[in-house]
Amino acid sequence: MTTPHPTASPPYRITPPRILRAEWHKLRSLRSTWITVISAVVLVLGVGLIMGATYTSGGGDSDVDTVVLSLYGSMLAQIFLVVLGILMTAGEYATGMIRSSLTAVPARLPVLWAKAVAFAATVFTVMLATSVVTFAAAQAFLHDTDQAASFTDPGILRALVGNAGALTLTGLLALGLGALLRSVPGAIGAFIGGVMILPEILGMLPYDAVERAIMYFPTQAAGALGSATPIPGTISPGPALLALSLWAGTTLAAAALTLKRRDV
Amino acid sequence: MITAHGLTKRYGDRTVVQDLDFTVRPGTVTGFLGPNGAGKSTTMRMLLGLDTPTQGRSTVNGRSYATHPAPLTQVGALLEARSVHPGRSAFNHLMALAHTHGIPRRRVEEVIDLAGLTDAAHRRVKGFSLGMGQRLGVASALLGDPATVILDEPVNGLDPEGVLWIRTLLTSLAAEGRTVLVSSHLMSEMALTADHLIVIGRGRLLADTTVAELIRSAGGASVKVVTPQPEELKAHLTAPNVTVTVTPAPVPTPGSHELRIRGVDTAHIGRVAATHAITLHELTPQTVSLEQAFMDLTQESVDHRPHRQHQPTPATGAAA
Repeated sequence: MTTPHPTASPPYRITPPRILRAEWHKLRSLRSTWITVISAVVLVLGVGLIMGATYTSGGGDSDVDTVVLSLYGSMLAQIFLVVLGILMTAGEYATGMIRSSLTAVPARLPVLWAKAVAFAATVFTVMLATSVVTFAAAQAFLHDTDQAASFTDPGILRALVGNAGALTLTGLLALGLGALLRSVPGAIGAFIGGVMILPEILGMLPYDAVERAIMYFPTQAAGALGSATPIPGTISPGPALLALSLWAGTTLAAAALTLKRRDV
Repeated sequence: MITAHGLTKRYGDRTVVQDLDFTVRPGTVTGFLGPNGAGKSTTMRMLLGLDTPTQGRSTVNGRSYATHPAPLTQVGALLEARSVHPGRSAFNHLMALAHTHGIPRRRVEEVIDLAGLTDAAHRRVKGFSLGMGQRLGVASALLGDPATVILDEPVNGLDPEGVLWIRTLLTSLAAEGRTVLVSSHLMSEMALTADHLIVIGRGRLLADTTVAELIRSAGGASVKVVTPQPEELKAHLTAPNVTVTVTPAPVPTPGSHELRIRGVDTAHIGRVAATHAITLHELTPQTVSLEQAFMDLTQESVDHRPHRQHQPTPATGAAA
């Protein structure tokens, strides 16, 4: 036992970079983080290689955007990253860890921001690298087909960055949902229902206004961000980035509000 | 130092904690006692800013918990043992908490050793026994070397060795001048470790007193005497602060009467009886057990009867 020093001013204090470091330590010290991130990487890369290897010029996929074709696995990888985001927040309520986290940082909000930054930095970095490598690997098969493209072609780099950004922002939306609902199954259900199923159902309605609105939904905006050429029936990358950022930002803001007000 | 001023917590129309006022002073172990559901955990969560009081406020070391720039160095808390992600190792759990304050790895290893978790530090918490979980909770409470320690039911689930470890730890923390608040629903456990007691029932303060004072207020010590000469004995014991009551014996013996005497001890009664040749059949000291005193106190709060002997005694004597 060390001797107490109740009168001496403590050499330790909470700072935002320290909270970020703590959240980064929490993120990388869990097996589920590694499983979800590696699964996402393997899916994108694996599907990309299969798409490249099995492609034949003039087939049914000829009119598909090259980046979309190469990164087809992103749609599936998204599910793993959504789960990771939800586990980071709702998972702490499930385990009781949140009591430890908020006792250490009673200001509360910096914990949510640090989680979002740690998640975004990790997912964006990993998925950008994965997107670039997968595109290059797919081109090893596609270079002598009508899907041949290079990094310097118009829109290609933007779409690769856009794909990583879309995965990150959609993951942040899930992270916010997890913090808002405080339940892993609840947040996963809300994501499936609200983000994946709702636009499909609304799309059945015969109204142009609804159809236009659906273009701004997270999944549809994410699709627009990850394409080098404009996809018919989607918005352009600028508005898509803005829409997706607003979805993620609004959810995080709502999560922040409840975190500040509700008992733990 | 912990203070609570009119601390109240309501959920809808259910009042869990009602108008609690108390002060927990440094240098002693203060037991926070009450039956299950009395509001102990809720009170502790309010002290740590996890729950917002409906009314009232609390301070730790002079200010509300959340406003400390380095709260872990002010207050160390063991809440419910499972406030840990089971997939993380004990070391990683403590290291993550330490990072928020810039506490070095050296200190993390120190508290792991202190809690006796050295061998298990890099195993996932998932495989920990309840006792190891409590040890990890204690390690995280001591991480910031805090002047105030709050432990919620620390002996729950511990084996005898672990219980002894907690008792020794609590006493040494208090001896180092720290403020120690420990909750329990077991009076017997508190009797062994606590100097001062805060007793609550149904969210209300029932007593804020010392262990000795609680026994005294609950009826104190008396002596049971069985004698065939009750009137003679009574006459020879007469003094201003001595009371003698004749109680009917549970199993009446012809020519024998049972007396309950307060204010003198068995030695004095024995001497008086010997001097005056009074026959005694039985001479037994009777102490109200702490358990009984606790039951008497909390029974009222359970029954909603008017308070019979609710006398919150100001901190007097040894504990102050």
